[in-house]
Amino acid sequence: MERKIGVYVCECGPNIAEKVDIDKVVGAVSSLDGVVVVEKYKLLCSADGKKFLEEEIKKHGITHLVIAACSPKQHEKTFMEVCENAGINPYLYQLANIREQCAWITEDKDEATKKAIRLIKAAIGRVKYHSSLEKKEIECNPAVLIIGGGVAGINASLELASPDRKIYLVEKTSSLGGMITNFEKTYPSMQPSSHILKQKILDMDKNENIQVFIDSNVEEIIGFFGNFEIKVKKKEVDEPAEFEVGAVMLATGSNFFDLKKTPQYGYEKFDNIFTALEFEKMNLSGEISLKNGKTPRSVAIIHCVGRDEKGYCSEICCMYSLKFIRYLKDKIPDAQVSNFYSDLCIPGKSYQKFYEQTKGKNVDFIRSTNVEVTKKENKLSIKYIDENGNKNSLLVDMVILAPAIEPTSDVSELAEIAGISQGDGGFFAEEHEKLNPVSTSTDGVYIVGCAQGPKNISDTIVQSGAAAGKILASLIPGKKMEIEVKTSHISESFCIGCKVCISVCSYGAITFDEAKKISVVNEVICRGCGNCVAACPSGAATSKHFTFKQIHQELLEAVK
Amino acid sequence: MKKDEEFMPRILAFLCNWCSYAGADLAGTSRLKYPPSILPIRVMCSSRVDPLFIVKAYLGGIDGVLLAGCHPGDCHYEKGNYYTRRRFALIKKIFEELDMEADRLLLSWISASEGPKYAKVATEFTEKIKKLGENPAKNKIFL
Repeated sequence: MERKIGVYVCECGPNIAEKVDIDKVVGAVSSLDGVVVVEKYKLLCSADGKKFLEEEIKKHGITHLVIAACSPKQHEKTFMEVCENAGINPYLYQLANIREQCAWITEDKDEATKKAIRLIKAAIGRVKYHSSLEKKEIECNPAVLIIGGGVAGINASLELASPDRKIYLVEKTSSLGGMITNFEKTYPSMQPSSHILKQKILDMDKNENIQVFIDSNVEEIIGFFGNFEIKVKKKEVDEPAEFEVGAVMLATGSNFFDLKKTPQYGYEKFDNIFTALEFEKMNLSGEISLKNGKTPRSVAIIHCVGRDEKGYCSEICCMYSLKFIRYLKDKIPDAQVSNFYSDLCIPGKSYQKFYEQTKGKNVDFIRSTNVEVTKKENKLSIKYIDENGNKNSLLVDMVILAPAIEPTSDVSELAEIAGISQGDGGFFAEEHEKLNPVSTSTDGVYIVGCAQGPKNISDTIVQSGAAAGKILASLIPGKKMEIEVKTSHISESFCIGCKVCISVCSYGAITFDEAKKISVVNEVICRGCGNCVAACPSGAATSKHFTFKQIHQELLEAVK
Repeated sequence: MKKDEEFMPRILAFLCNWCSYAGADLAGTSRLKYPPSILPIRVMCSSRVDPLFIVKAYLGGIDGVLLAGCHPGDCHYEKGNYYTRRRFALIKKIFEELDMEADRLLLSWISASEGPKYAKVATEFTEKIKKLGENPAKNKIFL
């Protein structure tokens, strides 16, 4: 078929027009081989602009389209839609970025114009070698696997479960609830934590679309977004349960920092030194007391334990330490409580108020460094350096340590099973810190709650809701899912069966066909990075829309 | 030499879609200035860059090749940039062995938020290539 290339140069209002000599650009590319029409337009992405393009494509019978405008990050999709509306395949088009990487980077109009011409020529050279690609859709399973039966997992289960969407919740311990079950109350409302959880767990029990596995671990997750195969092993049961889901949510929570790494706080060396969790449990059981059964008259809460070692602030310790002051004041009103902290982390709309209401008589906040706990007669002695650099000490009956939050011990194993990576502090890595904080590098695998990083209950609920929302929006019962089109492909006749491509693929998207002795790409899993294409020694692998010829054409323009 | 005859090097930049291309866009949206000598080619991942592209460009007479991707650990495709790093080390070595100018090749990690870094790398690399002068391969017959 004869190629009829149409080139449209966008002025982008004054954005490109003022920096690039557009008429010169139009003149320079109009006589190129295959180009049937070159036009400029004020603003191609506007409604009028899109309509104009559509009409032009039809009028000139354009088969291949080049747009010279802004970055493909901005409007690549916009003009793909125009192509579709005009009846040409959206992959038979190329966008030359003459704005962000051309018009805006130099004051020299001549140079900018020259560069724009080269960029457009490169796009024209490339587009000649474009092939039509068809949208691909696959059947998907709307069910979801949620790992971790804490507040994040429970909340997500309830958000997601419906008659046409089954939820499998896998909890490694023998009961649901997670960390929060140890707390008597939650901050800042100081409502019993059972208020948050009790009703939700009752709802879980009643919901027949939720299947809960306790005392169980996920052993295997294979497949891809829309179609994962899962194996779950229950303790002391030989045969694993097997089922299929479309998405996976990791809500595995967190652990506390190992206090063996900070011997200066005297934990397990002296009596009456408790971790935050031990103190929560003691408080929940009713009485706050010393080992000898007596009531403590003075208590030190040491914040930021393990912060230096971990290299991050755990966000929640200051707030639960303030809550501990409330616990203490409720049960022992005249107790002296001293807080040793390096920074107070009390952000947000209600925490400051909580702090103001908590501090007061017999409550001290001491900004300190080099905190050390030793024993002195029947008491514990806190040695520290105060804000002015002076050495100081304080005698107390009881010490509570607020250790850093860290990932659970099985985080690496789970990351491996789910095919995702670990980021800062060893927590599961999000796809993008700001833009995609609940997605991961593996499509269809989401991370929520403390598994993603230290956070409080409200943020955990927000995240589990966000991940549930993403699943609800993408895995719709009865609806097919669109998958990546620009995947790799391995030519059966060129493949020499060396398996190099298999070794470089991050997604396990390539398998080896033992009968034919060749590698085969599973295009449903392939994300289209093109690593296997660069690695292939026999030229058998190619990446659609980024073929050797297409890139080579751009390259030729650069060396001219 | 007259001003308009000043040597303007031809530099090719392979930029990964997710980090470096976005970083280069950001340099533009921030209106940072850098020499227009760089012609960008967008690839989905820096690991798509077949070393042959670099050899082809060099033998074709390109004055410099910049290869840029996400920072180690930040690859959109998990570990593509680690492969890029290894391949780049290899191609440098091959260039050195064959007495081709390995200094004309540059690998840089530029994230989507590092517009200023892209402008800086582009400026400094252009300056460096200007000092090296035209790629002699332009006029040499290699094969």
